[in-house]
Amino acid sequence: MLQPISGKELEYIADSMSNEDLLMKQCACAATSISDAGVSQLLSQMVTTHGQNYSTLMNALNQHQSLAPTSPQN
Amino acid sequence: MNQQNGMQLPKLPDADWAYTVLSDLKRVVREYATAATESTCPDVRKMFTDLTNSSLQMQGDLYNAMQSANMYDTSSPVLRQEIQKQIQTYTQTQQQTQQFIGQRLSGLNPTQPFMAQPMGQQQSDAPLYN
Repeated sequence: MLQPISGKELEYIADSMSNEDLLMKQCACAATSISDAGVSQLLSQMVTTHGQNYSTLMNALNQHQSLAPTSPQN
Repeated sequence: MNQQNGMQLPKLPDADWAYTVLSDLKRVVREYATAATESTCPDVRKMFTDLTNSSLQMQGDLYNAMQSANMYDTSSPVLRQEIQKQIQTYTQTQQQTQQFIGQRLSGLNPTQPFMAQPMGQQQSDAPLYN
């Protein structure tokens, strides 16, 4: 059973999406700048994982959108 | 305007590039852990817990890759006597705490037993956290 999320939870989710977005770009730049093959390969894999994390957070927002009240409660 | 007079600007060294990602991963692990402890919805808490683990895994993998590529200096091992000092201190702490807990729970004060608050009764002066 899903519950409506609090303002605090929304802030954490939004901040986390900014973090994941930055990490995706950072890993892509680092992967193409670094000459060491092992580190570079790992960083390009991490671009995918950060993208998945971003989607997880976006899904949470979508799922909770319909449960959220449209006017302030108490 | 990145190039002037045919001179190339210096590249950020590999180790520095990798370290910027590593330190951001360390920060994100902490932020996810904090978010999990601050969540009220069980599904949101679970999501943040899973994201903590995912980021922790990536941070560990990157650290290992950096160490293999000699991009990371591991700190020198601590001296044995430093460990012994801590063992001594915390053995003493442990004994004192066991004594404290033993006395607290052995009914030295039977009129006010440990955790004597009645079940299901809410204290009016209980603080509200959010």
